[in-house]
Amino acid sequence: MGSVADVIAGVLLVFGAALILLAGVGVWRFDDIYARMHAAAKAPTLGILAIALGVSLSVRSVVVTVTALLVVVLQLVTGPVGTHLLGRAVYRRLRPPLTGVDELARDEEARDR
Amino acid sequence: MIGVSIRIAFVLLTAASALFLWRLFKGPSVADRVIALDGLLIAVTCGILVETAREDSVTSLDTVLVVALVAFVGTGVMARYIERRGGE
Repeated sequence: MGSVADVIAGVLLVFGAALILLAGVGVWRFDDIYARMHAAAKAPTLGILAIALGVSLSVRSVVVTVTALLVVVLQLVTGPVGTHLLGRAVYRRLRPPLTGVDELARDEEARDR
Repeated sequence: MIGVSIRIAFVLLTAASALFLWRLFKGPSVADRVIALDGLLIAVTCGILVETAREDSVTSLDTVLVVALVAFVGTGVMARYIERRGGE
């Protein structure tokens, strides 16, 4: 039982760290701020989830499990909110050029009218 | 077995931190730096969690919540700042 849980925990730890690295590669390589934001917002959430699960499986104590759960819930709640705030600020103030359809401009124009 | 995967996880997190740091120094706008700092703090959060698994105790666990909360508050404050002042 213990060794099986350890193997699963190890796989989850490496998987989560690889997802964080993937977010880092996205932030490093993408050449558009929206693309960078997209890379930095989504992958780390699953990465933190996997790492918290792996740590809980590895240490097997109530305190660690509860704290890891709190971290995951915090990330799930605050990650989208923070990205949304930053994305709106970037859209309104920095005005980087968009490729494709800009639906928000149409909506804000309709609101201002 | 678990020791090997903990080492691999540390290496991956260090590489991710290096990439985030590169963007933090390079980033053309303030928002890029905010994204990079947020990602860096996420990597630190994961690093502290992996450290907890490595030493098999709860001593370094309390800082996890603080770092995660600081990351969110920092992002929110910087977003407000950009929206009010306009960032270059």
